[in-house]
Amino acid sequence: MSLGRWAFVLLVPVVPLVQRQIDARLGVHGVHEEVLYLTGKQIRRLSPGFEDLMADLYWLRAVQYYGSQRIWGGGHYELLAPLIDVVTDLDPRLEIAYRYGSIFLSEKAPVGAGDPEAGVAILEKGVRNNPLNWRLRQDLGFLIFTFLDDAQRGAQVLLEAARLPGAPFWIESLAAQILYKGGDRDTSRRIWRGMYEQAEEGPMKYNALAHLRYLDALDQAEALTGLARAYEQRTGRKPDSLDELRSAGLLRAAPVDPSGTPFAYDRETGTVSVDRKSELWRPLGRGGTR
Amino acid sequence: MSRVLAVAANTYRETVRERVLYNLVLFTVLMTLSGLLMKQLSIRQDERIIKDIGLAAMELFGTLIAVFMGVGLVSKEMERRSLYPLLAKPLDRSEFILGKFAGLGFTLLVNVAVMTAGLYLTLAATHAAFDPNLLKAVYAIFLGLLLVVGLALLFSTLSSSMLAAVGTVMLVVAGHFSDIIRNMRQVVPGTPHWLTGALYYALPNFRNFDLKSRVVHFDPVAASDLGWITLYAAAYLAIVLGLALTVFRSRDLV
Repeated sequence: MSLGRWAFVLLVPVVPLVQRQIDARLGVHGVHEEVLYLTGKQIRRLSPGFEDLMADLYWLRAVQYYGSQRIWGGGHYELLAPLIDVVTDLDPRLEIAYRYGSIFLSEKAPVGAGDPEAGVAILEKGVRNNPLNWRLRQDLGFLIFTFLDDAQRGAQVLLEAARLPGAPFWIESLAAQILYKGGDRDTSRRIWRGMYEQAEEGPMKYNALAHLRYLDALDQAEALTGLARAYEQRTGRKPDSLDELRSAGLLRAAPVDPSGTPFAYDRETGTVSVDRKSELWRPLGRGGTR
Repeated sequence: MSRVLAVAANTYRETVRERVLYNLVLFTVLMTLSGLLMKQLSIRQDERIIKDIGLAAMELFGTLIAVFMGVGLVSKEMERRSLYPLLAKPLDRSEFILGKFAGLGFTLLVNVAVMTAGLYLTLAATHAAFDPNLLKAVYAIFLGLLLVVGLALLFSTLSSSMLAAVGTVMLVVAGHFSDIIRNMRQVVPGTPHWLTGALYYALPNFRNFDLKSRVVHFDPVAASDLGWITLYAAAYLAIVLGLALTVFRSRDLV
C-alpha cells in the first residue's frame, strides 16, 4: 500500500477522535453559548417562514438535553429553561413544550430541575400566549398548588380554567377541594390521576403514575406505622424491625412499596416511611406529594 | 398556444435531463427518517414535525429549483447561443417567455405533487389521520414558487445567470422579511413612511404564501383567503412576466 493510502487510512479515524476530544473539552459550553446568545426572537427573525420547523428542531434538542442530563448529567438541567423558552418563542402555540417543560423544570432532581418557579413561569407564558387554552391554565393551577404550596392562587387559576370553553366540569370542584381541604393526600391523588388520564403515553404520564404510586406507598407506610403502634400497645415496646410484625402475625409477608423496595423503619419513633433507595421516594411537602 | 406548449415541454425535458427531480430522493430519505425517528425523539409530536419538515422541504427545495433553474431560462440560452435559431423560427418572444415559465412551472408542479404524495404516505405510515387542509398550504407554496420562477425569469432576461441568481435570491429573501420592512420605523424611527410603504408594496410578499403554521395548528383557512393569495400571485406574476417580456423584446438579439 502506498504512503498516501496509509496516510488516508490513518487519518480517517483521527477526525472522530479529535472531535470527541473537542466535545469533551468544550462539553456543554458549546450549547450554552448557542442557547444564551441566540434568543428565540432572534432565531425567529432569522428564519422567516420556517419558525415552526426551527421550533421543532429546538424541541427535539430540549427533549434530547433533558433525557441525556437525566441519564448522564447528574440531574443538572441549567439549559432546560432557556431551551424551552426558545421553543415557545419560536412557536408560541406549541402546547406540549409548555406542559412537559413545566413538569421537567418543576420536579426535583434527578427527575427534573427542581425549579418550580421556572416551571410556573413557562406555564404563565403559555397562558399569556394561549388565553383560551384550558389545559395550560389547569396545569398552571396544579403546579402552583402542588409545587409552590399556594392553595389559594392554585384554586383561583383552576377556577379561571374551568370557565374556558371545553374545560371539564370537575376542574371547578377540584378547585373547591383545594381551597377547603388544602394539601391533603386525596386532593393530591385527584390531581395526579387527572394528569395521568389526560396525558398521552410518555414522560408526563409516567411521572403522574410515579406520583400515584408514591401516594399508594404513603398510604401503605401509614398503615404499617399503625401496625407498629398496635404492636407497641400489645407488647409495651416498639418493634426492632418490621420482621417482628410478621413474627407476631400482624403481617403476612415482608412489606414492600409498589416499586418492590422494602419500607424504611425508624426504631426510635416507630414510624414507617418510603425508603430513600426506592425509585418512588421523593421529598415531602413542596415538590409534589404529601 | 401550441408553440408555447412546445417550448414548455422542451423546458420540462431539459430540467429532467439536468436531474432536477433527484431532489425527490433526498426528500424521500428525509420523510422516511422523520417517520421512523420522530415518534421516539419528539414525545408524540411526530405528526406535527413530519408535516413541518415535509412542507418546509417542499418550499425550500422548490425555491432552490425555481431560482437556480429559473435564472438560466433565458440567459443560458443566450450564453449557449441556442436562442438565436429558436427566434429565427416563427416563434414570438412572448411565446418563448411564457413557454419557459410554463415549463419550469410544470417541473415544480410535478415536484410538489410527488412530495405531497410522499408527505401523505409518511403520515399514513405513522397512523396520522388524513388532513386535507395540508393541500391548502401546498397550494400556497406552489403559488409562491411560481412567483419565484417569474422573478428569476425577469432577472434572466436582464443579465447573466450569476447576477440573475444574486438578484433573485435577494428579492426572495427580502420578500420573506416583508413584515420587518413594514415595521421598519419601530427599529429605525427616522425612516420615512413613504419609503417603508413603497418597499412593502413593491417587494413580493412571500409571507402571503406561508400557510404552513396555520394548517399544522389546524387553524381554518378560508377559501376566500386562498382566493386573495391567488389573486395577489396572479397580479404580481402578470407584472413580472410583463416586465420580463418588455426587457426581452427590447434586447437586440439579432
